[in-house]
Amino acid sequence: MHALIQAIILGILTGGVYALMASGQTLIFGIMKVVNLAQGALVVLGAYLTYTLFTTLGIDPFLSIIITTPLLFLVGIGLQWALLRPLHGEDVAQLSLLVTFAIALAIEGALSVGYGATLTNIQPSYANFSWTIFGYQVSLVRFVAFVLSIVMLGVLYFILRRTKFGRSVRATVQNPMSAQLLGVNANRVSALGFGLGAATAAAAGSVFGMLNSFNPGSHYDLISRLLTIVVLGGLGSIGGSVVAALIMGVASSLVSALASPIWSDFTFFIVLLLVLLLRPRGLFGAKTRGAL
Amino acid sequence: MQLRIHTPEVRRSRRVLAAAGAVLATTLALVGCSAGSTTSTSKGPLKIGISLSLTGDFSDSGKSAQRGYDLWASVTNKAGGILGRKVALTIVDDASSPDQVVTNYTDLITQDKVDIVLGPYSSLLTVPASRVASRYHYSFIEPAGGGPTVFAQKLSNLFFVQPAPTTAGGDVFADYILSLPKDKRPKTAAYAKLDDPFSAPIAANIQKRFEAAGIKTVYDQTYPAETADMTPIVAGIVAAKPDVVVGGTQEGDAFAQIKAMIQQKFNPKWLFEANGANSPGDFPAAVGKANTEGVFSSADWYADSTIAGSKAFIADYIAKYGGTAQQIDPTSAEAYSAGMLLQEVAKKTGKIDNATIITTLHSGTWPTLVGNLSWDKYGAPKGAYLLIQWINGKLTTVYPASKAQASPVAPKPHWAG
Amino acid sequence: MKRAITRIGVVRAGVFFGLLILIPILGGPVWLLNLLIFTVMYAALSSSWNLLGGLAGYPSLGHVAFFGIGAYAFAITFSSGVGNGFSPFLALPVIGVAVALLSLPIGWVSMRTRADVFAIVTITFLFITQTLAFNLTSLTGGAQGTSVAPPPFDVSTYDWPFYYAMLALLAVAMGISFYFSRSKIGLSLATVRADEDKAHGVGVRVTAVKLIAFAVSSGLVAMVGCVWAYYVGFIYPQFAVDPLITIGMVLMAFLGGKGTLWGPVLGSFILVPAQEFFAQTFGASELYLLAYAAVFLVIMLFLPRGILPSISERLRRRKLAAAGDARDAAQLAESKDAVAASKTEVA
Repeated sequence: MHALIQAIILGILTGGVYALMASGQTLIFGIMKVVNLAQGALVVLGAYLTYTLFTTLGIDPFLSIIITTPLLFLVGIGLQWALLRPLHGEDVAQLSLLVTFAIALAIEGALSVGYGATLTNIQPSYANFSWTIFGYQVSLVRFVAFVLSIVMLGVLYFILRRTKFGRSVRATVQNPMSAQLLGVNANRVSALGFGLGAATAAAAGSVFGMLNSFNPGSHYDLISRLLTIVVLGGLGSIGGSVVAALIMGVASSLVSALASPIWSDFTFFIVLLLVLLLRPRGLFGAKTRGAL
Repeated sequence: MQLRIHTPEVRRSRRVLAAAGAVLATTLALVGCSAGSTTSTSKGPLKIGISLSLTGDFSDSGKSAQRGYDLWASVTNKAGGILGRKVALTIVDDASSPDQVVTNYTDLITQDKVDIVLGPYSSLLTVPASRVASRYHYSFIEPAGGGPTVFAQKLSNLFFVQPAPTTAGGDVFADYILSLPKDKRPKTAAYAKLDDPFSAPIAANIQKRFEAAGIKTVYDQTYPAETADMTPIVAGIVAAKPDVVVGGTQEGDAFAQIKAMIQQKFNPKWLFEANGANSPGDFPAAVGKANTEGVFSSADWYADSTIAGSKAFIADYIAKYGGTAQQIDPTSAEAYSAGMLLQEVAKKTGKIDNATIITTLHSGTWPTLVGNLSWDKYGAPKGAYLLIQWINGKLTTVYPASKAQASPVAPKPHWAG
Repeated sequence: MKRAITRIGVVRAGVFFGLLILIPILGGPVWLLNLLIFTVMYAALSSSWNLLGGLAGYPSLGHVAFFGIGAYAFAITFSSGVGNGFSPFLALPVIGVAVALLSLPIGWVSMRTRADVFAIVTITFLFITQTLAFNLTSLTGGAQGTSVAPPPFDVSTYDWPFYYAMLALLAVAMGISFYFSRSKIGLSLATVRADEDKAHGVGVRVTAVKLIAFAVSSGLVAMVGCVWAYYVGFIYPQFAVDPLITIGMVLMAFLGGKGTLWGPVLGSFILVPAQEFFAQTFGASELYLLAYAAVFLVIMLFLPRGILPSISERLRRRKLAAAGDARDAAQLAESKDAVAASKTEVA
């Protein structure tokens, strides 16, 4: 029983971080109808940036989010403008998907050249610190990461609900054609949306780097989990991805504790397949014609 | 959707034939080219071909091996080479890929026509590479492929340059524990194993002997290579309250295990990590210098090793590459030792061809930086590793007594936090 | 739009395969054969992928899963012994058909989705296969890998059987591709690719045709996996089911021309030697990921239809332009005659 509850606590805390990463990806899909296969790589990029800031300038990983987030925001805008906007033709969706895949590879390649393949992680002095609450271990880093994720999701929510840009985004997600007719600049929204998605990846990256050992190739594991989460939550629904992230965090943690860690990733795959078979639009996805 | 190409047939066919002719000519030229390459004479340089992982997953270790090989070549050439011939190394990158390593050794042997080949980094690459060498009847002295699959191939040309097969890396720890009087031994044991050919078997071997001696297994878990988060596993270990924890690990996961134990404030009486804790620089950096105290591991070589030739090796290494002795990766010492074996065979027999190497190394004991080595007929070394422990911030040999620099410290002092 | 068996096509195929068949016989060195084995392997993989991704319009990003399944099936069957060394090749069609049948339910499930979701499903399938390869240790040997017994081939011609096997598989893949383009199946696939709903509405047997493409493509890829496993002799999960192999397949098909017959072959004959050359000369093949990504991006952005279609498009335009000029010239000449004639009349 103790192990069970400990696993659930761990799952919730981990789920919060995944929620942050997934929200960016689902936002990008909602706006551009493109599955961003580079989201995992952007998280790893964020982790490496945090690592460099930490080891060379001694900046605390949580604080460095202030630097990495705007930086990756700009990188995201740049990527969208240079590599996704110029795509045209009948196969735009397919090409965009492949381009994001290529971006992921490029990021992985650049990071391998820059940092090598050894597993690294970010070790601030408080990395091993944990509280014991009612007999359960709660690690400081995980807890702060969870709180941080909630805060950033709140910021994202604020942007989408209360700002003009947010309204444009929501309009584009709901009906791109009408949104354009009403004066929304689709290109601008796409670029900013991709930038936001990358920014969430940066924030999640700092945290990810503290909790896990990572190397440039870690993005494959991440992307497979993120895909499950966004599909489960419903492509395009941020609230859905948050709920799905928590569910998957707890589910995989339970499998890890009750069965064996080597099957914990499998949980993600099985859930993904079941969702696609039984309810392709996920928990909160809109019923759209076409792809899903 | 173009399924038909609309171009005049006649013009096209002429162009195709011209292109075909060009390709044919080029191919024949290539064929001719390679047929004309020279073979090395017995007076020219001794060409040694090696494929190493200079990029990719194993690149750090691959580069360490490269440094070891290069250092050996330069030291040997300064002393006059082997049988009067200068050593010329051809090192190519296999990017940690088995396909590439097969291609590389095939090219080294058939195209570059090297006299001798030495092994790549890791069992994963050694297995396919050794097959290629065996096919062409080349000897295969290799410093880094010691997993069971290497010896299961039953190749008679292969020699692993470490004191024992890698899976025996923990045997010396089992020797130590079982040498203790019954009332001083641990009663319960927990095993956390990394799912890879090197690591899990080390713990599994210890487990077999412990269970046979009556030490109860209270936790046994294997985890995949990419597991970044050891918290759930360590939580399970903590719940089982074992006396001794045995980690069949590589570096990253060993560090993660220990950090999780510190976080969960769990201090076993004995803690053995197959790898990770044997790294003089990375380990204190990863877990904190004060937290290293009392952790056991095993090694064949480390900076304070008292094996003959070690001090000279360290001096030459620092002269060539800089840094400190603590920063030298044992892989460099192992690669260097591979070269030493070639020198010793030449000195003993006066010859340095592959057949001689193979027959000569199969008998006797051969001194290297990693100990005195001897092999069985399939290349598995018949010695044992050293049991090392962190005492006062330094790695120290504590078992067997004949090689120990200090007595083992038990129970393990508490974590510093 | 039946593709005709043109004389030029036959010559092209004859020269190509003839050359490749002759190379070992004419004394091609081992390193060249080794390079060609991998080149032809990717050509076969790419052509097989093309059946699904190019002709049917379903870009699978996880096709290497079948490659791995074929490789493991072969390795597990032949881990203890290979007899005279040639008999295992007879197992190829058996394994190919078995994997094709196995892939039917997978294809059926995954092809209920479209475009990007299909890609996600196939990627997931890749990861599932890789995880199973790692975890089912009693069957696959797990991370320790599993071996195929070494065949007793003569050292001087060791590579030949593998080389010819790969070449045969390439011929089969291209043959099937060609057959599809000449038959009703190809036409149906083309309509599915263009607009699946409309095709369904018009009465095309959409599901059947998609499944055929999926199954044939998977079976072929599995057979290539078998030969690869046999050649390398020792396989590990992360290399038998490696996402980079899928990327290679897809990239080569795109580079040469997705949906064309020779496109994937062209793509692989460019990229595989280039990659090998890179590795040998510069050694720093850490850059190969960057290079792959760069080539990918360049193709997506500037040459999305690939080399062959772009070339043929340009040639067609030139021909049309030439025809247009000829027509204009003829009209001009005609009107000149008319003017001259009317002048004589008047005069």
